[in-house]
Amino acid sequence: MSDRLIKWLLWCYLGLLLVFVFSPILTSVIFSFNSDRFPTIPLGSFTLKWYQTIFDDPDVWSAARTSIFVSLCTATLATFIGFCTAYTDYRYGFRFKGAYLALALLPPTIPLIIMALAMLAWLSKLGISGRAWSVVIAHTVLCAPFAMGIIRLRLQQIDPDLESAAWNLGASEWSAMKTIIVPFARPALISAFCLTMAVSFDEFAVAWFVAGLNKTIPVLILEVLQGTTDPQIYAIGTFVFLTSITLVIIAQVFFMTRGRKPTAPA
Amino acid sequence: MAEPQIVFDNVMKRFGDAVAVDRMQLEVAEGEFLAIMGSSGCGKTTTLRMLAGLETPTEGEIRLNGQRINELKPSERETPMVWQSLALFPFLNVIENVEYGLRMRGVEADERKRRARLWLERMEIAEFETRAIDQLSGGQKQRVALARALVTEPPVLLLDEPLSALDANLVVRMQGVLSRLQKELGITFVYVTHSQSEAFAMADRVVIMSKGRIEQVGTPREVYRQPASRFVAEFVGSNNILSGTVNNLQSGELVVDTGLGPVAAVRPDDRELTRGQAVELVLSADNLELSTTEPDSVNRVACKLVSEEFIGTVVTLLVESPGGVELRIQKQQRDIDQVSLEEDMPLWVSWSPSSVYVLPG
Repeated sequence: MSDRLIKWLLWCYLGLLLVFVFSPILTSVIFSFNSDRFPTIPLGSFTLKWYQTIFDDPDVWSAARTSIFVSLCTATLATFIGFCTAYTDYRYGFRFKGAYLALALLPPTIPLIIMALAMLAWLSKLGISGRAWSVVIAHTVLCAPFAMGIIRLRLQQIDPDLESAAWNLGASEWSAMKTIIVPFARPALISAFCLTMAVSFDEFAVAWFVAGLNKTIPVLILEVLQGTTDPQIYAIGTFVFLTSITLVIIAQVFFMTRGRKPTAPA
Repeated sequence: MAEPQIVFDNVMKRFGDAVAVDRMQLEVAEGEFLAIMGSSGCGKTTTLRMLAGLETPTEGEIRLNGQRINELKPSERETPMVWQSLALFPFLNVIENVEYGLRMRGVEADERKRRARLWLERMEIAEFETRAIDQLSGGQKQRVALARALVTEPPVLLLDEPLSALDANLVVRMQGVLSRLQKELGITFVYVTHSQSEAFAMADRVVIMSKGRIEQVGTPREVYRQPASRFVAEFVGSNNILSGTVNNLQSGELVVDTGLGPVAAVRPDDRELTRGQAVELVLSADNLELSTTEPDSVNRVACKLVSEEFIGTVVTLLVESPGGVELRIQKQQRDIDQVSLEEDMPLWVSWSPSSVYVLPG
């Protein structure tokens, strides 16, 4: 009897937690379909006009293009760098490896504002600030440690004999990497790609500092917000939320995969 | 005369300060089934890994068909290995695993499928061609690992405790498979194991290693009946080792004073012994006779039974002499059945002088 009560209470707790986390997001989704200009209750009628507004707004399109470009490039670079770091950790033992790993995992521990300022100062010294590529560079620094963490976990599961077995059967180091390590790590690579893409897509502070005129979506949202309280913000927010949550779910699905499924028989 | 196929010439392997393999001198003939035996950490696996190129000797030279191979990368050698962990590629199916070595050698797809299938048939696992590795039983995985290693038709196959994960019945069956395969192919097998029964059942010659050194190389029979050192005598089989001093020396005969009293032995003709010299005697547990009445033998001692242990058809008895020396006796179950045993009952243990082996050195 008391077991059932505890179970019930735990479910309630979980429910409340989810309400707490998701109600602001849900609210913005609801108001994005509301015809009233101000977010008040009772609601007005259902409308798609705010979506129509952002759809017709060239600024939103340009920000979306920048965001997609930046997040795709960031995800590719961060996953590549993350894989390389994780592989060196898996494969080699060397002096100062602890320091090497600490350094590789450092960026997310630095406050974003400090990071953003440092990035701005450094990139403008190099004369490459204020471009989409500047955001890619900054985001890659920020995201690579996440990719490394995910891929490293996967490589820790590999039987250390697998790579040696591949060499033993005549594979060069490069072919062994291509045919054994990468396929084994594939779920983690996809997971890392999606997660870093989501992080980059959502990131505001660093992007705001280094993007210059190449606004990403989060930067655009803040700028619109400073000017108006137009419900098109909710529409953009809904779009951003859906993109991110999709990426995160894909990342999660692949992260959970043990990756032991056979390839289709030839 | 041409050099043997594999030669370890004064090979030394250090890991930091630790010596894993110490000045190894070993020759393996083509087509030989060689087992390297020893307890864990004796350097047997390191020896195998050096042959595969996964470790580089610190000193000395390893030659394959007369060619120094120290610097060859693993992928440049024709020395495939069957791993203790099997190391099958989990994301490839059975035939893709078997094909791997051919794929890495650039063999065209149709040809490698054909050759891989031949090996699957030979290993009697053709019906599992498209199965995932984790859908196979232990014995089937073993066969995939063998097929994968042999598909390139190598001159040498390395095996690192391949049967250690299998249950007892399967071990015996796989021993049969391996022995037959080795004879049919006529290639060299270098087999690392800690299991005496596996080594003795299959190998032409056995290498006993301890602390990085070779203690003895010989046929299973030599190693079993004429151990080269106390270590080998203790490691191999169930031997009783008695320390004593030489008392009486006659031509062809020798009496040694031991904790059991005087023990008569056949005098070894390959070395000098003097009166008063300390020697060690080996009494094989399976060479000891057991009776309830006093036997008519030079070597006999009245003992009392301490314990008995059944392992299948073989029984190991532990008896104690009046002087407090414990002896292990191994008998077939059906032989023991003829003597009705009771705890603490007096038993006569006897053995012939010719079954006593005097340890060298």
